[in-house]
Amino acid sequence: MAADAVGSETTPTLFLRNATGLVRGWSIRDTIIYACLATNFVTLGLYEFTFAGPAFPKGQMLTAVIISAVWVSFLVVAYSGLIVTIPRAGGDYVWQSRILGSGLGFVMAATGWWFILWLWAPIYGNILSVQLFQPLWATLKWTWPGGGAAWFGTDNGIFVVTLITIVIAGLLVSLGMGGYARFQKWCFLGGMIGFAVIVILLLVNSHQDFVNSFNLYGKQLFGVNNAYNATNAAAAKAGYSTSPFSFGPLGPTMLLVPAMMFFILWPNWGATLYGEIRGASDFRRVFTGMFVGLWITVLCTVIFFLLIDKTVGWGFYQNLNSLDYNLTPQFGIWPYPFLFAGWLVHNTAFQVILILVLSLWFFAWVGTLFLSSTRVIFAAAFDRVLPDKAAEVSEKRKVPVYSLILMLLPAAGLGAVYAYSTTFRSYTLDATLVIAVTYLFSAIAVVVLPFVKPDLWKASPASRIKLFGIPVVPVSGLITIGLLVFNLYEWLSNDLYFVNSHDSLYYMAGMYVLAIVLYVVARLVRKRQGIDLGLINKEIPVE
Amino acid sequence: MKVFFATDIHGSEVCWRKFLNSAAFYKADLVVLGGDLTGKAMIPIVAHSGYWQCVVRGETIRMDSRAELENVERQIRNKGFYPAVVTPDELQELSAEEGAVDRRFSHEMLHSLDRWLDMADGKLGGGRVPCILNGGNDDFFDIDPLIEASPLVNFGEGKAIDLDGFHMVSMGWTNPTPWNTFREAPEEELTAKIDAVVSQIPDMERAIFNFHAPPYGTGLDDAPALDETLRPMHGGAVMKPVGSTAVRDAITSYQPMLSVHGHIHESRGVKRMGRTLAINPGSVYGDGVLQGAVLELNPKKGKVTKYLLVNG
Repeated sequence: MAADAVGSETTPTLFLRNATGLVRGWSIRDTIIYACLATNFVTLGLYEFTFAGPAFPKGQMLTAVIISAVWVSFLVVAYSGLIVTIPRAGGDYVWQSRILGSGLGFVMAATGWWFILWLWAPIYGNILSVQLFQPLWATLKWTWPGGGAAWFGTDNGIFVVTLITIVIAGLLVSLGMGGYARFQKWCFLGGMIGFAVIVILLLVNSHQDFVNSFNLYGKQLFGVNNAYNATNAAAAKAGYSTSPFSFGPLGPTMLLVPAMMFFILWPNWGATLYGEIRGASDFRRVFTGMFVGLWITVLCTVIFFLLIDKTVGWGFYQNLNSLDYNLTPQFGIWPYPFLFAGWLVHNTAFQVILILVLSLWFFAWVGTLFLSSTRVIFAAAFDRVLPDKAAEVSEKRKVPVYSLILMLLPAAGLGAVYAYSTTFRSYTLDATLVIAVTYLFSAIAVVVLPFVKPDLWKASPASRIKLFGIPVVPVSGLITIGLLVFNLYEWLSNDLYFVNSHDSLYYMAGMYVLAIVLYVVARLVRKRQGIDLGLINKEIPVE
Repeated sequence: MKVFFATDIHGSEVCWRKFLNSAAFYKADLVVLGGDLTGKAMIPIVAHSGYWQCVVRGETIRMDSRAELENVERQIRNKGFYPAVVTPDELQELSAEEGAVDRRFSHEMLHSLDRWLDMADGKLGGGRVPCILNGGNDDFFDIDPLIEASPLVNFGEGKAIDLDGFHMVSMGWTNPTPWNTFREAPEEELTAKIDAVVSQIPDMERAIFNFHAPPYGTGLDDAPALDETLRPMHGGAVMKPVGSTAVRDAITSYQPMLSVHGHIHESRGVKRMGRTLAINPGSVYGDGVLQGAVLELNPKKGKVTKYLLVNG
């Protein structure tokens, strides 16, 4: 039957025979790339910095990013523990269902991995609009549709680009991940090259070079005279004053942490684990992939901030952002720092290519928009919570028609609300909050795991990870709970995050009510059909 | 008639114990284990003077008493591995001698299955609940006569078993895998095997296919795409169908009432194929959880009236 030995040649510690599914561990490099793309410094990071800086002018973003990443590193440890203990593709749904109960698992998965993605669709759309269409149209001075680049920031513009995004993400779900995964890696490489070009530009040019270029293209593309000084003057007139680039003070900086979660909370987004002969090395592999991915993002952010301070001017960058924050953007479009860095080379073709290359960060990332939703919908259908049709795949085209409908139609509807209501648009951090609640319950699951499922825990490689005799994974779960509770408290108590208004709270509560209603109705309907959903995760006695 | 179907427990003793208790737990009239009963790995426990030592999941474990040894052996069995107590000299022989590991593996697998079959005594409603076991592609052929000889279970391979008017046919063979396992055959051979066993069914309306390989391209057969070194591609994010076209064609043309499958652990799911309900309950045997399907069959209508995938 041909067997392999594991361990040293003279003292093997494990013999494996030829059997299906004995695969080698996946490449850590892949995990790093996916973690990097999920904590997307360009699409999510730059987008959030525009709002976070002006909202909390006394805080320091550099310190906030580092504090956030240190804290999120514990989430990485906690999730690594869950992944190697119950390595299922269903992620939070499976962990919470198995450890905390089916109903809670469904409600958290449906809200955090399905319903809230309807809101992420227009956010993705808006990011595509401001990081590709607006800078491209501006650079090429295209005037169609009416208003040129600025049109993409109008209600209609946002809605159209949201629909484009939904179509792209829907197509990627339909076509499968095979080709896309390869494309994603090339995009990552291209995106990194684009970022490297930005770094070089900001490194080799002086502050005066930037001011000159900014003034030149501000006038040439947008007709603004002396744009650099005009920006500072406009911000000052609006009463905005920023702090110089430094590391403190801690109090106001901590208020930036809940904002930074918008881009830094997702290193665990794509982490799954296949392979059945699992050992301590798997924990290291999973952890290393996510951890390194997270910290590469942090490194990029730190380099970006330092170069902004050196070449662009920190105060100017914040002033620029503050104008957009107050809905009076300097050039009528979102202040895309990479567009302005590209102006340091006075060549339109170069600037266009740079915008296109940097847009690869978006295209590497957009495919994940509906992927988790499909998985949750399928899992819920197989668990008989949703009708069987929800998991149906068309014979001819292999497209999950009904699950796509369940994702795309509400996303398009919410996209319209987002586009035509500036108030609703301000609920951007709702998208982070709802997923954070789902994470919170997974963190609780990892803390109670040793008590609720002691055999499963003892058998897990995660239980062997100890520091001074203390199991690291559950303790990291506790620290993660601290992070998430802190964020939730701030989001819900501080008006500056724009998530605690009545309408925003009603919107989020509505999603939880919808999930609870779905689950309760499913239980009742299935009960009438003679099917007890309570049996799904009930453990068969061993003895 | 209520049926509990599970599959691919791969030597996990805790899953076997749960399977034996499943009839009582789900109030099933019939329990079926679809194949791949035997484990994939063997852990040598080296007996030194006054203590034993082994490495489990990268951690060296020292056992100073027989009670500790038994506890570790139990944990190893529950994970689906075989504990093999050896002297240091025996371990060296295993490493050095051609075929020694295979022989020891065979011994442990047969010994373990024998113990399992003994455990069935007193379970399964004291023998009142019929139980069908079958081999899968990972099971070597020596287990077949052992199961066949057991008075407590029925060996399903190649037979049409009458179950109060329903007929179940079983096949543990699969289409070729990258691991070159025991019961693999090209698709044409699978078609011939299927046709031979299906020809024994008198009424296709009440037929149940118990084929280890899932039908190709149905979502019941999606496994991580692997590169040539058997490493999951793209971080395991890309899945591809690896099921059998022969099984798919057989279901499509014969249209049995129910078709149950295993083999691809990650592909837990349900698929309607014409009038056939096809199910792969998946497997997470390594976690000690017995995934399965609870099915209610209506003999009058010849259809599956209820199903539920469970994590028992």
